[in-house]
Amino acid sequence: MSTNHKKILNDTRKRLVQGLLSVKSINEIDDLNTKFLGRQGEVNQLFKTLPLKGNPEIGKAINELKKFCFEKLSEKTSEVLNANSKEYLDVTVPGIRPSKGSIHPITQAINDIEQIFDKLGFVRRRYPEVETDWYYAEGLNIPKDHPARDDQETFYLDDGVVLTAHTSNGQLHEMEKVKIPPIKMINIGKTYRRQTDATHIPMFHQFEGLIVDKGINISHLIGITDFFAKSFFGNDRVIRLRPHHFQFTEPSFEIDISCGLCNGSGVIEGSPCKICKSGWLELGGAGMVHPNVLKNGGIDPDEYSGIAFGWGVERVFMMKSGKNIPDIRLLYTDDLRFLKQF
Amino acid sequence: MDIKITDKALRHFLQTKADPETISNKVSLCGPTFDRVHKENGQFIYDIEIITNRIDTASVQGIAREASAILNQQGITAKLTNDPYRGNISFDKFFSKTFAFDIQDKSLTPRFVAVSFENVSVKDSPDNTKELLQLCGERPINNIVDITNELTLLYGMPCHAFDLDKLAPQKLTLRQSKKGEIIKTLDNQICNLKGGDIIIEDGANRIVDLSGVMGGAVAEIDAHTKNILFIVPVYNPQKVRKTSLYLQKRTIASQIYEKQPDPEMCLPTLSKAIQLLKERSQARPSSSVFDFYPAKESSKTISLDTNWLNTYVGIEIPNDQIISILDSLGFKTKTENNSKISCTVPSWRHHDINIKEDLVEEISRIYGYFKLPSILPYVNLKPEAKDSILSTESKIKYYLFGKGFNEVFNSSLISRNLIETYELDTKKHLKLTNALSKDYEYLRTSLVPSITQNIKNNQGKVLEPINIFEIANTYHISNKKTPDEISHLVFASTQDYRHTKGILESMLENLFIDNPIFVSTKNKDGFFSENTTADIFVKNEFIGRIGNIKPNILRNMNISTKFVLVEISVPAITKNTSNNRIISPLSEYPEISECITINSNKKIGEIIDTIFSMSNLINKVQYQETYESNHTFKVSFLSTKENLTQKQVDPIKEKILKIFS
Repeated sequence: MSTNHKKILNDTRKRLVQGLLSVKSINEIDDLNTKFLGRQGEVNQLFKTLPLKGNPEIGKAINELKKFCFEKLSEKTSEVLNANSKEYLDVTVPGIRPSKGSIHPITQAINDIEQIFDKLGFVRRRYPEVETDWYYAEGLNIPKDHPARDDQETFYLDDGVVLTAHTSNGQLHEMEKVKIPPIKMINIGKTYRRQTDATHIPMFHQFEGLIVDKGINISHLIGITDFFAKSFFGNDRVIRLRPHHFQFTEPSFEIDISCGLCNGSGVIEGSPCKICKSGWLELGGAGMVHPNVLKNGGIDPDEYSGIAFGWGVERVFMMKSGKNIPDIRLLYTDDLRFLKQF
Repeated sequence: MDIKITDKALRHFLQTKADPETISNKVSLCGPTFDRVHKENGQFIYDIEIITNRIDTASVQGIAREASAILNQQGITAKLTNDPYRGNISFDKFFSKTFAFDIQDKSLTPRFVAVSFENVSVKDSPDNTKELLQLCGERPINNIVDITNELTLLYGMPCHAFDLDKLAPQKLTLRQSKKGEIIKTLDNQICNLKGGDIIIEDGANRIVDLSGVMGGAVAEIDAHTKNILFIVPVYNPQKVRKTSLYLQKRTIASQIYEKQPDPEMCLPTLSKAIQLLKERSQARPSSSVFDFYPAKESSKTISLDTNWLNTYVGIEIPNDQIISILDSLGFKTKTENNSKISCTVPSWRHHDINIKEDLVEEISRIYGYFKLPSILPYVNLKPEAKDSILSTESKIKYYLFGKGFNEVFNSSLISRNLIETYELDTKKHLKLTNALSKDYEYLRTSLVPSITQNIKNNQGKVLEPINIFEIANTYHISNKKTPDEISHLVFASTQDYRHTKGILESMLENLFIDNPIFVSTKNKDGFFSENTTADIFVKNEFIGRIGNIKPNILRNMNISTKFVLVEISVPAITKNTSNNRIISPLSEYPEISECITINSNKKIGEIIDTIFSMSNLINKVQYQETYESNHTFKVSFLSTKENLTQKQVDPIKEKILKIFS
């Protein structure tokens, strides 16, 4: 390789180094990059102008120059970028959040309940909140002069139409809709109770389950209740049935769930548990569908039997939340400061 | 009904080594619930909740019968003692009657038993009687009255004593009251009777007893009483209930009578009364027993198929166990064949046991519900899709939640005042006939008044934006007996009209509902402001409104917060929602966008529609801004067939500008 050739290569190298000295921005580096390493750049020009044929060392030298240029330019690029990025960021500055939405705890509880019964193969229904006497009482084996009517704390509208205090009216509607069993439904809806405390909303929610088929028996009611209790409240909870009386079921039961706070012992640190009765919480009523109710729904009680239960949405929600929400009525506040917690 | 009894009294009827805790735990699972066991004055007391159809258990002996059946079945030896239904009862008959009863209407009393006593000496009861009554929540009065209360407690049969010398007993008439008749009861209250109440009138035409509820003050036992008339009656349950409810006298007697106690218990109770009156006040019967018992109920027999019983319970209970359970409860059983038992119902269960399912309850509860297995039934249900309205509701809720909205639950019942404030017609609202409060009297036809109230309750408390929503039924009078219950969505936001409308549009898009049309409302009724409200249509169907509340209403409500409201019918949008979204492949070619400013007094919606109509190469028209009457739009052009050039776009642009010039 001639001295001349060497000088040409050296000059190119010097021009790059010189050029890099005065460079301050990424744009200037990009310009230098084009000038030296571009397709028409100085280095590529050397491949064209210098006599490569018979002088393999020239080719080698140009490649070395190319590598040198690339390295120098990269070095400078990092240097400039890092210098520019020395701005300060306080990583503890609070983020700007979008406005907080919330799903009401009653909806959340309904969703949980619906999912559990969905898993068991129940279909969800919604039946009327305003109902005729037949579906609400008479058809459910509660005759006109029966004292149970006074106990139901019912609101009345004109013409013997009522605002339902329970969701059991859905039982007869479902029997009429399906006509021939099997039936497996869950009716979740608003219910109303005329209670003496007039200053609070007299409204709450219930979920009513009904299964009618051949061979349905008490152990099935235990099975369903047990599944619900464990899914909704937790694996360690157990249930028990106590005798009770309802006109539309026979036998009738009151169902209890072991208390989660005292683990069913009824005692916390030597004093009685504040939220349960001797280790048990009342879940609600249930029973085997009364043969008169099946008949009223057009189903032959000699061929089919059924189980039914009606439990309170707010009640199970409160039972689950333990002592965190002191009063069920808080659920009906419209104070967004409270609701945004959900 | 709740009762309180002592352990000591219980053990008079029940022989067992079981301690109070064990008795309470075992009985609660199979019979009446023992709410609490506690100790007072060194005695154990049970608080017991009587199951409503089991009035036979509302007494110490009734609880003892349950307890002995249950304990034995659970391997704890127990024996029922001093059973009032056992043993012969006879009464002396050597007296001349000193009173005469006239009972014309036998529907008023299935059985009425009475005896008079002489030589009565009124004083305090013995200490142990006073203690028993006090521990059981009653107030000792004197030996005579205390005997009536003690008998009720022990046997569940109310009874009453009159001072015979204060009555005109030559003619005592049991009859229904007439409207306007008056009685002064033992609590010294004057009761104005509505008519149809059961009363006793004496020979001097005075009403001396409000039967089944409370005695009359006229013949009250006092320190000078020498002769008494002692009655052990059973009354018509509906009549007693009605009287006790409207007079607000829910006495123990009335609570028992309205549940039909056993008439067969009258004589055992009377026999016990004779004994106690003799012991505690040296009294002697002065008359024969008057026993009005016009129609003794014949006993019921129910045939039980034990195979059926076992399928109904879900477990096999051996026949001999079934029989021993029924026997322990007082049923008489007869085995007809391998699987058939005929069961005769005891008199004290006459009203509550009617069908074979009732026997299932008796057998399975005493057997022990806790011994039954937990089994999930296999039910071969026809498959069906989820209810579409419920599914829409759920999608909306989670969409709005994600957009920063908070869900509220408001009452379906609202006040007349709220309806009138919102300029709605009360006649279109269903009204409760027995509301307890003016705040909750009418079923709402719109969710708007409540949600506006929510805005008001939050104004000044939380930082804006306030975003709230509710999904609930509204109730509309229909030509059926019951109203139409229609699910509605309402949401309110303190964001401006464009942002709120945007949320609605994108919510609908999410439900695959495209191109909702917004038309200035022509509706002058109700609460929406005519000038700043739109009716919303989807495929020509009205689905709801978006806009502002009339300023005068807001002023009356004291609401200063600015907000936009949306109210939508959930069924109306559910009808138009679809799960089959049409998906189109993307064009391979780039789109060309141009900003176009149009000077026009037309509505922006109309301008956008016009621009679209100019060429099918127009892909998007995005509204940018308005300055005076100059509106700027970003118009995008796209072809699915070729690369568009400026030459193709320019003429369309010209055309658009021309049509608005």
